[in-house]
This record gives sequence, structure tokens and C-alpha cells, in this order.
Amino acid sequence: MRPFLTAALLAAALPAGAAELRYAATSDPNTLDPNAGNSAPVFSLLGNVYEGLVRRGRDMSIEPALATAWEPIGDGEGWRFTLRQGVTFHGGEAFTAEDVIFSYERASSEESDTSSWFAPVSEVVMVDDYTVDFMTTAPNPIFPDSIANWMMMDSGWAAANGAERPNIEQGNYATLNANGTGPYRVTERQPGLRTVLEAYDGWWGEDRGNVTRAVFTPVQNAATSVAALLSGELDLIEPVPVQDANRVDTADGVQVVRGIEARVIMLGFPHDADGLIAGGEGNPFQDARVRQAVAKAINVPAILQTVMRGSAEPVAQLVGEGMRGYTDGLERPAYDLEGAKALLAEAGYPDGFRFSLKCPNDRYLNDEAVCTAINAMLAQLGLEPAFETMPVANYWPTLREDDHDMYLLGWSPGTFDAEHPIRFLLSTPNAEKRLGSWNFGGYSNARIDELLPMIQSEIDDTKRQAMLDEVAQIQLDDVAYVPLYVQPLIWGVKDGVEVVQRPDNFLVLRWMNVAG
Amino acid sequence: MRRNTLGMLAYIIRRIFQSIVVLLAVGLVAFSMFRFVGDPIEQLLGQERTVQDVERLREALGLNDPFPVQYFDFLVRAAQGDFGISYRQSRPVADILLERAPATLELALVSGLLALAVGIGLGVFTAIRRDGWAANIIMSASLIGVSLPTFLIGILLIYVFGVQLRWLPTFGRGDVVDLGWWTTGFLTSSGLKSLILPSITLGLFQMTLIMRLVRSEMLEVLRQDYIRFARARGLSAKAVNFRHALKNTMIPVITVTGLQLGAIIAFAIITETVFQWPGVGLLFINAVQFVDIPVMAAYLMLISVMFVMINLLVDILYVWVDPRLRIDGRHA
Repeated sequence: MRPFLTAALLAAALPAGAAELRYAATSDPNTLDPNAGNSAPVFSLLGNVYEGLVRRGRDMSIEPALATAWEPIGDGEGWRFTLRQGVTFHGGEAFTAEDVIFSYERASSEESDTSSWFAPVSEVVMVDDYTVDFMTTAPNPIFPDSIANWMMMDSGWAAANGAERPNIEQGNYATLNANGTGPYRVTERQPGLRTVLEAYDGWWGEDRGNVTRAVFTPVQNAATSVAALLSGELDLIEPVPVQDANRVDTADGVQVVRGIEARVIMLGFPHDADGLIAGGEGNPFQDARVRQAVAKAINVPAILQTVMRGSAEPVAQLVGEGMRGYTDGLERPAYDLEGAKALLAEAGYPDGFRFSLKCPNDRYLNDEAVCTAINAMLAQLGLEPAFETMPVANYWPTLREDDHDMYLLGWSPGTFDAEHPIRFLLSTPNAEKRLGSWNFGGYSNARIDELLPMIQSEIDDTKRQAMLDEVAQIQLDDVAYVPLYVQPLIWGVKDGVEVVQRPDNFLVLRWMNVAG
Repeated sequence: MRRNTLGMLAYIIRRIFQSIVVLLAVGLVAFSMFRFVGDPIEQLLGQERTVQDVERLREALGLNDPFPVQYFDFLVRAAQGDFGISYRQSRPVADILLERAPATLELALVSGLLALAVGIGLGVFTAIRRDGWAANIIMSASLIGVSLPTFLIGILLIYVFGVQLRWLPTFGRGDVVDLGWWTTGFLTSSGLKSLILPSITLGLFQMTLIMRLVRSEMLEVLRQDYIRFARARGLSAKAVNFRHALKNTMIPVITVTGLQLGAIIAFAIITETVFQWPGVGLLFINAVQFVDIPVMAAYLMLISVMFVMINLLVDILYVWVDPRLRIDGRHA
């Protein structure tokens, strides 16, 4: 009986058979420093190596990681986190409150690309070795949600290697080396070419599959990665191009895993411009009826059917379903060309007008094809779009310099909360208050500006949701943006590879299983 | 004799001076173009950045300086062997280039040798059997090599030999052996296998070029009187074709091959992208996408140095080979 029990316990603790996973994605993280890059490729890889106080579960909900519990302090003055005991970094150092303080100072420093997460924090206090208080300037209900990608680093390791602060422009030891508490260690790093992760036996957690070694190769060319998956040289690729998905799905030995990303694709307008760059006098887009006409004239189901091959979901607000604060029951206006033409005539433009339509061609899935379809639909409405696409490296500067009329934008809320796009896309731009930094069209609505700080500090979930619903309704009626669809996730895997796909598109190795 | 040597020396010095002017001009054009590639800050910082972050980084990277100032800084540092730090990888560009160079040079070497060996062989064959059915098929097939884009050839080879037959790897360089100052794929079987498809893809154009060149030169030479006399003297076909005819076709072939070696290295970009080959071409493509100005600048300068050097060598070889140029060096 006794040996049997021991064996059963061992089986539960150890992964069922060691396995290697060879996978490819389009972009290589530009750094291993969790504070020197703030992008999905960086956090997707580092999420296997480093851990935060909290982490996201399979359904994106916040769950304990290096903190076992957290609770609001007093009447919303801050948050108290109780730390997990007995956690060690890959280098063997113990994890304590001192590392939390150090990681906070590092992540919120001037040199860091993640400092905006800590804008609401006024002070961090070490209560004892395993308790830390985060004091906030105002009640902040989503603070734990907003730090799921904030990763804990060892203060001693950073000091010994001269990496106390991130260095985006010059790089330092932490750019190429990592020392986290997570389930995988980085054992080889060749930037742009190959990264090898191996299971960390001293990990505190239990929820892990059988991948003990993972080899990551960034492959830029989609045709190459599809071929490597089909030939059996790779076990997982991300993404599979939309147009290849059905071919991969029907091929032997491989399959496609589909999901929904957190990214909403939308059209933006030049709200605060006096004239259009490709048109004559005046700015017709300042008339809400013109914007409503555009929303009605775009046949989103047709775009999804033809360009996205049925992979994506239409959306009526700036966040997709499953995000915190999503508003139930909103419907995007149905496709109605005649109704759109009538609105346009009512606004005084029965013969249409000229404007520029700009889109990136290497940023979102099939972005150029989607815009080509939108261009044709707007032409049917009687408008005269001057359609132009460009690489994303040129696209953002163009938008920032206000060299645009209508434009395509995709937004993935970093906090997975509906407040995020309000702060970045709907607030009146204000550099000092760090608001509206991606609101290129300069949209401004007094009620939304009034609601945002209230949403940010409302502790009561019902009241908060009511305010988020109000903003979503204003955005829908006023057509600040035309939300189109939620971008799909299309991964290709070898048969026998089990994965968990989350809307943040992170490759979480510890949930993967490889058969054989 | 002395006059000749002096004349040649003056010629070489003048050509070197001209080469430096060309290099400086290439650099100036490159730096004036970088602003059109995009803004590196957009790639370096995430969506939650603040205006303060942008300004700090822009200042730190020297992006606020006008481009002639940036170019001058680059030249001063490059002259000391410092090519700056990659925006994409946050480490010295010189280290990255040294790491990536072996992959590209090995690929270029194999492609070049392949193009030369197969190109000369097929060229001689199609010249000798100019009306044979095999020669006609080879000539028609060579049109594919000239007209199909590299990208398509690579994808086709991957599909046939990698996906369908599964004989060869579809991407990467396989296992490499690290010799400390050089990584080589020549010493492992997976490294050698990985070389086959990319080197065919990269060398196919040059192969057909050399083949057509050898063929037409051979046909030209075979019409010459000395070949007829050789045949009339009763020399064997082998001796006529290879000892007399082929030898005399080699001078233009060697010239073209030398110049094409530069093209093979420079145009490895597409082949490296298709095969995810870890060389400098792939590095350059990634740098363009990321607006990694230091890497783009260093790569473009190195490639132009290489072309200028090859041209310089060819010019010097001409002077050496052709005595008329040597005597008249000052006016060449």
C-alpha cells in the first residue's frame, strides 16, 4: 500500500513523460528584460520564465502567483499583498519582500518601458518579509489586474550583474540573461535566431504539462513556418496565415487551433481637424451622421466571410467578449447601404466627398485586404477615399503627425479591462495627464472625460459596470470609432500537441502537453 | 620597368581614393534614406509609453540630431571599429555581424562553387552537343533559372523536398560546430543537409548565367581556325574541347564569376528570408522592419565596401593582365 501511494504522489508531482516542444512565432522578443520591452512577444516568452505577484489563469482571470492573497487597505487607500513563502529564483536566491520593492523601483523607473503601470501608486511599503503595501493616490479597483505582467526580479542578481535598471538603448546583462522564479529557465539565447527554455525543477507550482524543453525559433516568413509544420520540423506555429488555415487543417498530422484575440480592429476618424488632407474645405467627419453612415455602409460580415474566411467575430465596442467590463447586448448597426446614403444626404453630402484612408500592411492579420474591402464599400456609399497602405514603421509616425483622415487601428487592452481603451483611445488627448495617447483623431467627449476617473476609482463592480456601459453606448451612438471585428488567433499544431489559447496570445508552456 | 611600376602604383592609389569617395557617398545616401524607413521609437517602446519616455529615448539615441550629424558621428565611430548598438538587440552591431557572417559566407561559397561547377559542365555540354535533345532540354530549363524569382524557387524546393519527400530540412542551418571565431555547418550531417536547398536557390541564377556564358563563348571559340586545325591534325575530341577550347573561354567566365560573388552575398537576403537562414541578409531584413538604423547602416557600408573592393581588385587585375593599360596608366 505504501509504495503504491508514494508512486501515485510522484506521478501527480512529476510531469507525465518529458517532452520537447519546437515552436515558431513571427517575432522574436527584442529583449529578455521584463522592463525594457512592453509588447506581447516579450511578455509571452518571459511569462514562462518570470512571475508576477498575480497571474492570469486559463480564462484570463487573476489568480495568485508570487502573492498568495491581496486585499484593499482601508477605504481604498491601496492594496496589501501577502507573499508566497519558500519560492526560489532560478539562481537559488530566496524570494522576499525586498525583491518586490526592488522590482517596483526598477519597473517604475524613468528608464523603464512599464512605468505607466505604476502611475496610480504613491508609495510602496515593506511591512515585513512577506507583506507589501501598495498605496494609491485614489481608490484603484483594477490595480491587481493591471500588474499581471509585472515580473519579479532578484535584487541581488541584478546588483551583482549591473542590471539594477533596464537599459533600452544600450542593453545590459538582463537583456540576454534571465533569472526568474517561473517554471522555465532560459538556457540558451541567440537574439533573433533561437531561444531554449528548460523546465526549472525548483518551481513552487503544480499545474504543469509534460514539456521539459522548448526550442523557440522566430520565423518571419509565414510560408516557411507552415512548411516546417507540415514537414514535422516544428510542433507549433503562431500564427497560421488566414488563407492557409483550411489547408493546414486538412493536412495529415497537423491541425489548426482557433481562438479569439483580445485585439479589436476599428476605423478612426479625424475629429479635431479643420479640413481633410485629401479633400477640400471643412471636415464632414465632424458630423455624427456622416460617421454613422460610414458605420452602416461597412458590411462587416461580408469582410469576415471573404477576407478573414469566417475566422473573426464582429464587435460593437472597443473590447471583445470575455474582457472585464464588457458591455452585454450591444449590436453594431446592420449593413444598410440605402440608410447610409440617406444619412449622408441629410448631412449635406449627397454626392460624397474626398478623403484619405490609410492602413498598415504588416501589422494586423490581412490588414491590407480588409482595408481594400472597406475602400470598395465606402466607394459604393458614394464617397471618394484616397486609399493608401504602408508598413507599420511608417504608419504610426504618419498618424502621430496628423497626416491622416480615416485610418485603421487595432487595440488590445493591456489590462484586459474596458477602462483601458477609454484611457488611451476615447479620452481627450492630454500629455501631462497621460490620457488619450493613441487618440490620433483627437476625439473629445466631456461626459466620457468625466466618467473615466470615476470608473478608475469605483470599487463597487455594479456601479463601475454601469459607467462602462454608458461609455460604450456613447461610443456606439456617437461613432467615435467604427469597431469592426475581434482579430482571430490561428495556431497550427502537430497532432498530439495540446495547448491552451488565451486572448492575450501568450504561449504558456506549462499548460502544454506533447504526446509520444 | 620602373616607370611601369610607378604608373601602376599611381593608378592603384587613385582608384583607392575614388573608392573611398564612392563609400562616403553611399553612406550619405543611406543615412538620408533612414528617416523614410520609419521611426525606431515606435518599435522600441510599447503602447503604454508616455511622451516623456519617447523624448528621453529619442535624445539618448541621438535621433534629434540632423542626419548629416548622425552620419558624421557614425563615420567617426566606424573608423574606430565601433558600429554602435543595435536598437533591436541592444548589443554591439559588430558582434552581431561577426556572429552572422559565417552563415552567409558559407552559403555564398557553396552556391558559388555549385554555380561554377554545374554551370561550366552544362555550358560545355550544351556547346558540344548543340543540337542534341538533351542540350535543348537543358537550355529550355535554364530559362526557368533566369526568369523565376528566387522567392518562388525557394518555396517550390521547400515544398517538394521538404514537405512532400521530407528528404531535406525546410529551414535553418542545422547543427553547427563552434570553432570559437567561426561557426560552421560543414562538419555535421544536418548542417550539410541544410545547405543544399538554400544554396541551389541562391546559386540557380548564377548557374544559368555561367552556363549560357560558357556555351556562347565555347561556340565562338569552336569556330576559330586553330580549333579546326587542331581537329584536322587529328587530336582527340577531348583534347580539343577541354585543353584548347575551354581554356580560352575561361577569362570572361572568371571575370563574371568574380563580380557575381558580390551579388551572391548581397542578394542572399531573399534566400535567407525564405529559409530562415541565420545570416546577415536575414539580419538586414529584420533591421529594416524594426527600423534598426545602426544595423542597416553597418550592413549597407559593409556591402558597399565589398563591392568597391571587388571592383578595385578586378581593375588591378586587368592592369596586371593587360600591359597596354600599364604603360598608359595615367590616362586609363
